[in-house]
Amino acid sequence: MTDRLLEDIRGALRVVIDPELGENIVDLGFVYDIAVEDGAVRITMTATTPGCPATSFLKEGVEAAASTVPGVAAVDVTMTFEPAWTPDLIEPAVRASLGFAAVN
Amino acid sequence: MPLQARVRGGVWSRNSRWDDETIMIGGSISRWTMTYFAAALTWLLAALALMVAGIGHPAADLAAPDTLVLVHVVCIGWLSIAMCGALFQFVPVLVAQPLFCERWALPALALVTAGLVSLLAGFMALGARLPSAPWLLPLGAVLLVVGFGLIVVDLGLTAWQRPSGPARFVLVGLASLCATAAFGAVFAFALAGWAGRIGDAVLARGIPLHAIAGLGGWLTLTAMGVSYRLLSMFMLAPDVEDRKSRITLAAGALAVATTVGGGAAAVGFELGLNMVLSIAAVFGLVCAALYGRDLAGIFRARKRRQLELNMRMAMLSFASLAATGLLGIALVATRTLSAHLGAFAFLAAFGWLSGLVLAKLYKIVAFLTWLETYGPVMGRAPTPRVQDLVAESRATKWFAIYYVSVWMGTLALLAAQPGAFRMAAAAMTVGVVGIIHEIIRIRRLEDVALPLRLPAGAVAPHLLFAKT
Repeated sequence: MTDRLLEDIRGALRVVIDPELGENIVDLGFVYDIAVEDGAVRITMTATTPGCPATSFLKEGVEAAASTVPGVAAVDVTMTFEPAWTPDLIEPAVRASLGFAAVN
Repeated sequence: MPLQARVRGGVWSRNSRWDDETIMIGGSISRWTMTYFAAALTWLLAALALMVAGIGHPAADLAAPDTLVLVHVVCIGWLSIAMCGALFQFVPVLVAQPLFCERWALPALALVTAGLVSLLAGFMALGARLPSAPWLLPLGAVLLVVGFGLIVVDLGLTAWQRPSGPARFVLVGLASLCATAAFGAVFAFALAGWAGRIGDAVLARGIPLHAIAGLGGWLTLTAMGVSYRLLSMFMLAPDVEDRKSRITLAAGALAVATTVGGGAAAVGFELGLNMVLSIAAVFGLVCAALYGRDLAGIFRARKRRQLELNMRMAMLSFASLAATGLLGIALVATRTLSAHLGAFAFLAAFGWLSGLVLAKLYKIVAFLTWLETYGPVMGRAPTPRVQDLVAESRATKWFAIYYVSVWMGTLALLAAQPGAFRMAAAAMTVGVVGIIHEIIRIRRLEDVALPLRLPAGAVAPHLLFAKT
């Protein structure tokens, strides 16, 4: 049941995109962790860089998207820049489609 | 302090990468940045109209009233107002702190605009285009000092909260703006006959100091600082090492300090300015060379290989900066700098600074429009990408027309061909009008595919200010 809920949440988060890269935050590797306990969801995520005006919208978007999933009673999103996001967290197929340089 | 607390629409949290201090993650959208951009572009069109009409030819005597009108429309109306608008959005991003006082932005723009209009009217009165009114120049100076003073305090106090990296460039740029405004105020009072012997002496010899502090210190150093952050952010490149950017800034700051401090001392002691300006020029060239090295490092280390239009066009402005440096060296070596000062300043103002500002405006407007329109509905509905708001293939030709005509205009000035220069200015106008049209299309979401244009809950942006 929990595994299915996790998958549903990950699917719901795919509506949230990074406006610059144009890909959803799950495939970009922004979502570091999703924990579920009795319907309460805690999501730990990041963004490409701190200080960017899009960051707060990303966080609010994740809260909104996760809240739409049946079985989710509460959502808490934690933004972190530890560890810092790097392009090697992107799904390989997406990374290739973005035309990124080889990851060091 | 709790781990997270909501403050002014942003989220504050602890982050050990930032010296374990409390920082803001995610800034807010500056309400008046678009207003500043619109005002600045209006002044740019006015400057181009003057050049097409042959009023204030850049190669004419710098002290001629018509030239003063043109120079101040470009430097204050266009470049300074556009730079201030960008800084109101990006200084908070640079330092990850909210702006000291958002409410000062609009009154400051009104004061600067009123001051500039008064100053221009004063210059036109000097040139007998308007009835004599000596008070117009001091009035304009006072209004400009108060308006820019508000901006300097607002941005300075914001940047001072985390004076590191690119924010240092902004702080030195703001200090240079103060020096520029101080010289300008003395000139305005001297032209009105209200500044006494000392004011007259500063007016007689201080114009190069005013120009270098403005174009070099305020506009160039600030543009460099902002570009470090923007280029790294948009190309996903690591930030330039603090040690490297600090040396680049030191060279630029020494150029400005030598010009302002040494120049003021030379004027005060009635000594020649050549030595002071020569030393400043060497520091300036070193700064430009180090900046080129830093930029090359960013481009080499970028993860995004495909460059967007704004980056490709910014590269043309960097090439123009390099060409400006080389032109300066050639003119000094051939002892023709004074004869071709107009061409040198034109290439710096339009190839380097205006080119960079236009390229970045194209991106910044799209990015802010996306945030304003689609940020609030993220997670609730599918949204387009920032790139879906622009039509790069269509916009490319306007930028190409702009840059080619700037370079043709520079050659026309060097060849002393006023007719050819006016034709180049007309072509520049075509390019700028095209770019402005593209920017308006971005604000109106006209290039966004209909199914994604306005999802439920999204509010169409206003052309001239941010609603959120």
